[in-house]
Amino acid sequence: MSDNRFEFVKMEESASEHLSAPRYSYWASVFRKFFSSKVVITMLVISAVIMLFSFIHPLFSHYDPTSQGNINDKTMSFIKPCLEYPFGTDRTGRNMFDAVWASCGNSLSIALIATGVTTTLGVIVGAFWGFSKKLDKIMIEVYNVVANIPFTLVVMVLVYVMGAGKWQLIFALSCTSWLSTAYFIRVQVMIIRDREYNLASKCLGTKTSTIITRNIMPYLTSIIVTSIARDVPNFISYEVFLSFIGIGLDVTEPSLGRMVSDYVQYMQAPSASYLFWIPVILCAMISVSLYIVGQALADATDPRTHMI
Amino acid sequence: MSTNNEKEVLLSVRHLEVTFYNNKKRFRAVKNANFDIYKGETFALVGESGSGKTTIGRSIIRLNHTSDGEILYKGKKINGKLSKAEQRDVIRNIQMIFQDPAASLNERATIDYCVSEGLYNFHLYENEEDRERKVDDVLNAVGLLPEHKSRYPHEFSGGQRQRIGIARAMVMEPEFIIADEPISALDVSIRAQVLNLMNKFKKERGLTYMFIAHDLSVVRYFSDRIAVIHKGRIVEIAPTDELFNYPLHPYTLSLLQAVPMPDPQIEKAKELVIYDESKRDLSGEKPILQEIRPGHFVFANDREMAEYREKLKEMIAFKKEHPTND
Ligand SMILES: Nc1ncnc2c1ncn2[C@@H]1O[C@H](COP(=O)(O)OP(=O)(O)OP(=O)(O)O)[C@@H](O)[C@H]1O
Ligand SMILES: [Mg+2]
Repeated sequence: MSDNRFEFVKMEESASEHLSAPRYSYWASVFRKFFSSKVVITMLVISAVIMLFSFIHPLFSHYDPTSQGNINDKTMSFIKPCLEYPFGTDRTGRNMFDAVWASCGNSLSIALIATGVTTTLGVIVGAFWGFSKKLDKIMIEVYNVVANIPFTLVVMVLVYVMGAGKWQLIFALSCTSWLSTAYFIRVQVMIIRDREYNLASKCLGTKTSTIITRNIMPYLTSIIVTSIARDVPNFISYEVFLSFIGIGLDVTEPSLGRMVSDYVQYMQAPSASYLFWIPVILCAMISVSLYIVGQALADATDPRTHMI
Repeated sequence: MSTNNEKEVLLSVRHLEVTFYNNKKRFRAVKNANFDIYKGETFALVGESGSGKTTIGRSIIRLNHTSDGEILYKGKKINGKLSKAEQRDVIRNIQMIFQDPAASLNERATIDYCVSEGLYNFHLYENEEDRERKVDDVLNAVGLLPEHKSRYPHEFSGGQRQRIGIARAMVMEPEFIIADEPISALDVSIRAQVLNLMNKFKKERGLTYMFIAHDLSVVRYFSDRIAVIHKGRIVEIAPTDELFNYPLHPYTLSLLQAVPMPDPQIEKAKELVIYDESKRDLSGEKPILQEIRPGHFVFANDREMAEYREKLKEMIAFKKEHPTND
């Protein structure tokens, strides 16, 4: 064979450095991962529909739980769910469709506001708590005392002392619960704080505040979302529980818990059991759908799930 | 000014003590360490896991608190309390390459940010273009491509990540680099690549290295002088050839035994020495680090010094009779 049939191929050193993986973008991956499951999309649609109805329907229905306009009209009471009254009516002839959405909206807003306060306060305090040894000494004592008092007891005592009402209930729910979020964040910050890449940043002269925002907080996105996903359904069940045992909200304020407690007497009555089951099922649907959506979002914001 | 035999001291560690407290329990991680590092050399610090190598390295760049002693950089004290400006000076001049490439990069930041972080902190660029050029240049120097800038650390292999770590230190244009076992977490096949890269930078930029390693085989062809550390105590310091030819301290001997020999005959005949401090004759006065030959220090008391001198004489005589090529 003659040499001219061969040709020199230059060796290209940088070829081996080429990354064949497609370009990575954090938020695009979060988006893709989040929408990759049919169950999650279904749950997202369910919770979106429930929220839309809960917050928009009451604006038109102006539902007032104290008005009993139809109490003397026997034809209006105990109408089973039909086209005109999708959720039926109760003994006093109240339109359950209006009542359910007004209650749902109120319960949801209580849970969402309480979660907002808890998370904001918890994350800010937790970040500094994890970084400062001095603050840790004080906070850990406070936490140990508060964490050992049952949460239900704290809420019940506060509600009794301050009286019933939406804002009092929100205060009672968030009063101590931000501490456990802060503690949760503190532990995570402490784990991440001494990791080598933060030491490396320190060696490059990066300020502590920049280390918190650029090195620590991005790692906590999924942890914060997890905590939110856990708090919202939790606060909803607390509201339901408190209203069920008759404390927390004023009689003028509709809520899922109040509905459940009002209609629990019909649970066994075959002709009117819908009065009890509709709010119960709705309550379960809110909790489950929000929880699953939250968990899926928490998973999706964790970049370890982005590979494959 | 440096002449041939009067080398310029860049970093000087004097009576360094580092103590950790665990619930009131004291633990001396570094005990009375003394050594000098000359400008332009590679100084290796070798010892087993947990001997305090990283602790010494981290004390120099102020990540660890020192409980006693002094660290002098170009004659200026850099441990203990310093002003903001002095702290920034230390960071500008001394950089570190970390032990674990998997843990030392921020996973939520792009390579562009990882490499530029120091540039941003010290505003070491004239404008955005200048910064990009600097990042491109340093990535190119470590064999990575400019297109990698928008990628995230988890997309890279261990060797590539370690080179990103090197790029991030190099872009600061430091004079002195502490390399904490930069290759021990890497696959054997890419170790040489990273070592060659570090050597290239040393030649091009006249850098000084403190190279931390846990066995002697790695540092043999890479370093000018070696310090052997055992349980926080430096037991022997010598130029590389001297240490390999005339090892004196029993711990150094046991480390040398761990270096594999290319000759199977020698490898088979090798008898394993395991260093056990409790079995040694520790009678006599307290040992200190003493100079036995020019540039060769060993941790010993007067009785041991006499033994070592005897041994050294024998070894030198033996070498004369049996000259080897190495
Ligand atoms: N922050 C700390 N608090 C308490 N003890 C510590 C701390 N850092 C290190 N130590 C202890 O100091 C000793 C020396 O640790 P160091 O990390 O310096 O070892 P090393 O020689 O680098 O080991 P390796 O080869 O495993 O990296 C170890 O016993 C370790 O447990
Ligand atoms: Mg180490």
